Amino acid sequence: MRKFLTLLVMVVSTTIAMAQNKTVTGKVTDEKGTPVANASVLVKGTTKGVTTLDDGSFSISVPVTAKTLVISSVNFTEQEVAINNNGKSFLIKMQGVDNNLTEVVVTSLGIIRDKRSLGYSTQSLKAEQIADKGEVNVINALQGKIAGVAITGASGSPGASTNINIRGITSFTGSNQPLFIVDGIPVSNDVDRTNGGPLGTLGDNQPANRALDIDINNIESINVLKGPAAAVLYGSRAAAGAIIITTKKGGNSKGRADVILNSSTSFQSATGVPQVQNTYGQGSTGIYLPTSGNSWGPKFGSTPTIANGLLVGGVPVNYQAFPNNIKDFFEKGIILDNSLTVNGGDLKQNYTFSISNLNQTGILPNTDLKRTNLKFGANTVLRDKIKLGGSITLTNTLQNGILGGNGSSALGVLAGLQRSVDLTSYKTNGNYKNPDGSNNWIIANQDNPYFDAYENPLKSNLYRLTSTFNLGYDIAKWLSISYRLGLDAYTDRRKQIFAVSSARVPNGQVLDNTIYRGEVNGDLFLNFKKDNIFAKGLNFTGLLGQNINQRSFQSVYLQGDGLAFPGFYNVSNATVLTNGSFESSSTQRLVGYYGQASFSYNNYLFVELTGRLDQSSTLPSDKSSYFYPSISGSFVFTDAFKIKSDILSYGKIKANTAKVGRDASPYLLANTYSSWGFGNNVANFSFPYGAVAGFGASSRIAPLTLSPEFTTSYEFGINLGLFKNRVSLDITYYNTDSKNQIINVAIPVSTGYSSKTTNIGELTNKGIEATLNINVVKTRNFNWDVSGNFAKNVNNVVSIAPGIDNFGIPGSAFTGSIPSIKIGYGYGVILGGVIPTSPEGQRLINPATGTFQPTIANQVLSDPNPEYKLGFTNNIKYKNLSLGFTFDFTKGGQILSFTSAIYKSRGAWIGTEADRDQPHLLPGVIQVGTKYIPNNIQVSPQTYWQALGGLQSEFNVYDATVFRLRELSLGYDVPNSVLQKLKITGIRFSLFARNVFYVAPNAIIDPEVNTQGAGNIRGLELQSAPNARTIGVNLKITL
Amino acid sequence: MKKFALFFCLSIVILTSCKKYLDVNNTPNNPLAVPPSTLLPTTTIALAFANSNDLSRATSALVQHIAGVANQTAAYDVYSLDGSFDNQWTGEIYNGAINNLQILIDQYSLTSPAYSGIAKLEMAYVYSMATDIWGDVPYSQAGQGLKFETPRFDAVKDIYEGNSTKGIVSLFDLVKSGLLDLSKTSSLKPSSDDIVYKGDLTKWQKMGNTLLLKLALQLTNVNPALATSTINAVISGNNYINSNALDFEVPFGASVGNQNPLYSFNNLNRTGDQMLSQRLLNLSRSINDTVRLAKFFTKPTGTFIAFDNGSSSVVPLQATRSRYNTYLTGISGEAPIRIITNFQANFILAEAALTLGTAGDPNAYYQSGMKASMLKVGMTQAEIDNYFLTNPTVVTLIGSTEQKRQQIITQKYISLIGNGIEVFNDYRRTLYPVLSLVNNPSGDNPNVIPTRLPYTPSELSRNPNAPNPRPKTDVKLYWAK
Repeated sequence: MRKFLTLLVMVVSTTIAMAQNKTVTGKVTDEKGTPVANASVLVKGTTKGVTTLDDGSFSISVPVTAKTLVISSVNFTEQEVAINNNGKSFLIKMQGVDNNLTEVVVTSLGIIRDKRSLGYSTQSLKAEQIADKGEVNVINALQGKIAGVAITGASGSPGASTNINIRGITSFTGSNQPLFIVDGIPVSNDVDRTNGGPLGTLGDNQPANRALDIDINNIESINVLKGPAAAVLYGSRAAAGAIIITTKKGGNSKGRADVILNSSTSFQSATGVPQVQNTYGQGSTGIYLPTSGNSWGPKFGSTPTIANGLLVGGVPVNYQAFPNNIKDFFEKGIILDNSLTVNGGDLKQNYTFSISNLNQTGILPNTDLKRTNLKFGANTVLRDKIKLGGSITLTNTLQNGILGGNGSSALGVLAGLQRSVDLTSYKTNGNYKNPDGSNNWIIANQDNPYFDAYENPLKSNLYRLTSTFNLGYDIAKWLSISYRLGLDAYTDRRKQIFAVSSARVPNGQVLDNTIYRGEVNGDLFLNFKKDNIFAKGLNFTGLLGQNINQRSFQSVYLQGDGLAFPGFYNVSNATVLTNGSFESSSTQRLVGYYGQASFSYNNYLFVELTGRLDQSSTLPSDKSSYFYPSISGSFVFTDAFKIKSDILSYGKIKANTAKVGRDASPYLLANTYSSWGFGNNVANFSFPYGAVAGFGASSRIAPLTLSPEFTTSYEFGINLGLFKNRVSLDITYYNTDSKNQIINVAIPVSTGYSSKTTNIGELTNKGIEATLNINVVKTRNFNWDVSGNFAKNVNNVVSIAPGIDNFGIPGSAFTGSIPSIKIGYGYGVILGGVIPTSPEGQRLINPATGTFQPTIANQVLSDPNPEYKLGFTNNIKYKNLSLGFTFDFTKGGQILSFTSAIYKSRGAWIGTEADRDQPHLLPGVIQVGTKYIPNNIQVSPQTYWQALGGLQSEFNVYDATVFRLRELSLGYDVPNSVLQKLKITGIRFSLFARNVFYVAPNAIIDPEVNTQGAGNIRGLELQSAPNARTIGVNLKITL
Repeated sequence: MKKFALFFCLSIVILTSCKKYLDVNNTPNNPLAVPPSTLLPTTTIALAFANSNDLSRATSALVQHIAGVANQTAAYDVYSLDGSFDNQWTGEIYNGAINNLQILIDQYSLTSPAYSGIAKLEMAYVYSMATDIWGDVPYSQAGQGLKFETPRFDAVKDIYEGNSTKGIVSLFDLVKSGLLDLSKTSSLKPSSDDIVYKGDLTKWQKMGNTLLLKLALQLTNVNPALATSTINAVISGNNYINSNALDFEVPFGASVGNQNPLYSFNNLNRTGDQMLSQRLLNLSRSINDTVRLAKFFTKPTGTFIAFDNGSSSVVPLQATRSRYNTYLTGISGEAPIRIITNFQANFILAEAALTLGTAGDPNAYYQSGMKASMLKVGMTQAEIDNYFLTNPTVVTLIGSTEQKRQQIITQKYISLIGNGIEVFNDYRRTLYPVLSLVNNPSGDNPNVIPTRLPYTPSELSRNPNAPNPRPKTDVKLYWAK
């Protein structure tokens, strides 16, 4: 946030008279007493100077004739101090630069940079912008605040993953999630999925993206590196951008430990569930039918007759509405988040210790998330030259989830539940199970939602260790060497149970899935720094580095099928252990060499060159090395031309071009065989067959050769500070072109194979981003900041392979609605059947039935790419009160919603209530010879809505435009006068709410969901959990 | 911590062994080569699975053996077929069977022709299923990976009869080539991996010759000369399936994951989707054949409860419905999938003798076929004898050639319950038994019982050689009547 910083320079000088020179010592701090390190202290009119140490102190030997010192540092306005000959200390207050335009940011490899020197886009957030706002997943906390970053949560299920894409999608089938860096080391943000029975990942619990393991309370700042240029030093994996997270560190000049206690309690409820009708109950064609999944039965209050099915054996059926039977399935979620942080030590020797615990009970029955983080970190400086530091973070995350998805899952059955079914009674009476423990439900091949929730859970128990180790040595003033080692590893032990008699796996199943991921990353680099090279004011910093990276993965499935008896969910109870049991492991390694040379001239002209050479284990040995460069520059023209204006206070232009290479996934280079199986969720076979093994050639053909894929990009932009920097504007245009993609491109299956690995295709992104910050009011007691951001990205699939117009994105999909890559469209359009139309574009009606003509397959059904996104944040502070709120708005993009379809076809949605006694006409025309006449064939309301309620129908593709009050917080800081009496440094109370309300004018659900979660498949809602609204309180005490 | 140390060292010394360090791209997850004994079970199950899974459900509904009452079978029942069968074309046929059969043929023709011989017979059967269902399909260029990346769609006529100018080997020649391979010396020979005949190659010879009969019969309308000569050659060779013990039927298991698809679908996962068709029940009752029908369909209430195809009336309670019985499903899914049988051979020979004048007495073959079927489904000898005694007009071919043919096909229609594909073939070739449209038909043409299945979305979108727009489901196949 904006800072109004005044530099307080205390030069405590001692003068020792010598022949020619004298030594001046002092200390540089800001107004809060925090020392300013690396500030430049220069004797005016010379090139003689020193920089301040970490504690802000300096010692400089100056000629006796010297009169003035010039002190400068990023963030602060340059200041001149007269050298005081009589040795007394003095204080000077300087006006700091009034804006975040000069903030420092953490860039690639943890290099701290003055923002003005960057020729590329980054955007950063501070702790107070993300913490204490009731969010569990760090990615969600960025929503609405960063231009050009698209974030969509899977659902409101606890721990459900969140997708994040920066500046669009650049790889056809590779990961498009940005690289996550915590304290300088890459950490996993993978999503590991565990099959939800035979539906696989189409019907699984929604697992977490592993950034969930990061404790938000412990984050100091987040910087988002957007384009390839920004992230090029991280190599291939940052081709989709990078999220740089810096955690809190210990140590301050006071040398006193800070103890911070934070406690929050919040409550969650489900939102975005379609509205229901409560006039008609279970049945079909107006007749009550106890085994029907629909609400097309008679009107409530109808006189029971044999004809309407309400009179059975002369006895009237108990037939009434249960208006809240869907709503009451969702529970009140609770999130308790407590943390204790101790930051101690001084600037040389310091430590940080934190422990935090998050305990979330979900909005779905039998769901929860429990996360405990324990962190210890310490830094020391030895012999004034050697910097040694490290940290260890241990995380335990427990996630309990339930199944979603089409068909028999809890959420699948709940969608559009028959209006006259008393679902709640199954829970209160506990009779979702029969006395023998089996599923008790009114419809065959479906689970009672409570049975599914309580008897078929997925439990995940993850332990994660993230550690960093840093060693630095200042060889000379101009040269230092650093080594940084990171280890991030986790083991997630999961268990998915299918009770005997559950619809998806009637014979029962126990699935033990152990997932391991580990990453070891080592960086060795030399830093060069030399000021005034060749010419005065021309400064140079350089870097040469080497990177070694290894990523390992292992997933072991032990699947026990055919349970001998119910109630004992251990693989020892299984009669078949071979169906889905397998191990999948991979190791990939990368060695990289990189360099960076940065030049700055008089602090207004900046040029930076980078280059990186990677060698990857996943490419053929003759093509495993690949080089990619970048160049960027920025020019602060207001400084260069000495423009001093109260209107135009600051102006910078920036430009860059970059290229980033990306390697392949492991093991793509050889043809393989695998143990074989057939079928899907309705019937399947898997080898071994008794004692007989069956293998088959894998469906993918290996490439003859393979090269890395490259994304090239350029961007340029302008950054303006107006009205003494109270208004700042940043506009960037970018263009990326990704070629030579490594794809398992779909080929006709009649070749005997369904894909081949090759380098082919081109994908482009063009976009514009703008951020605007306005300090509306600034007085002693009242401050009001507004910040807005806008981003528009146009993604285009330019080419795939010769003769191939489209192919499905790898991942699970239902035939008939396949997320695809199609030439001429944005990435990820969903292909399916579309109803044929007349030349005028009216849908064709089948004259025999009055419903639509059969669809034409493989058409673009839905396009998930939005037109643009807007975010808008206000922060208002009055004395000790602060109010903040963030709105965001997404225009366009579409979502295919199975839930909406089900609510319509089952006759549960409120829109199906009207005119039930009237015949309906579907909109369309009938072809008669070469002419088209308006449809005049009446159909029943049930036929009508079922024609509009096809799961994969164009009628269930919704415009995902949505306006949302994303977050709201009201805080109160206890005044200093009170604190001093209590001998407490700070107390802050806050009230917050997230996802407060939304307006989605064209959808019947909250369209901001994405059932498949983080990954390349977007815009599909497959009967998953709804979103959650959160309201809570937070108390933070600093001792 | 060892790793840390290692990394530290690696980082600070010059990487002399960088190449070795990076040499970790050999998959531990999948073998790069497998013995043929692990491929043959896969192709054999693939063939049976394709025959009895979704294609069976669709064709069994189209020939009105079953009525679809929910979900996809209900859609198939009323001719709504578009967009389906990707899994069959992909997982079962081309990517399950054809590619692995091609590997067996390519790798073992010279050294172990026992495997390539069996593979050719299986391949001929699989392709006959594909072309009979979809019409023109990729054949001569199919299953060969990168050699033909967009395989040509060969005409049904060329697939059946061959086309030397296009380099298309006929299905007949493919079978004959397989039979020749089987007679050669083979270094590797199948044993327990041959899940049908346990390595008895003489039985495969019989299967191959019977397959020739089946293929020949398909051409009665369009190339009777080829049909006649092929059938006569098989009869004179006298080495075909002529007893139930020789039936080519693929066994399945009772354990989860090894069950036959008819069981998994009807008894486990989709118990409410399909049931006995009222029309089959009516036919069966009209010829007093319900003892046999009860072997095919259950009677939970002691009587058959059927449903009229496509009817919009209320479906009977699930617990009461007549559904596939243990002859087809087994008690726990262990029933075999019957691909080429003795009764089928007899009906083929009966029809050929009747209409093409091939050797033998049509009536004798006809009665042998009926008896073989009745025995096969588990009727007692007394029940069979009683049926023959009390239904003389049914068990004897009477009337014109066409009337006799209708009798033969009607018997075949009942005997083949569960194998919808073969019944669908016979129906389209002869239009017997006479079927009327379902209630509430839809699909490409609601006025015609579909004469083929639509091409699958994935092949249509991926293969520029696929006929596009695809032929409607009312376009007749080359050999159809």
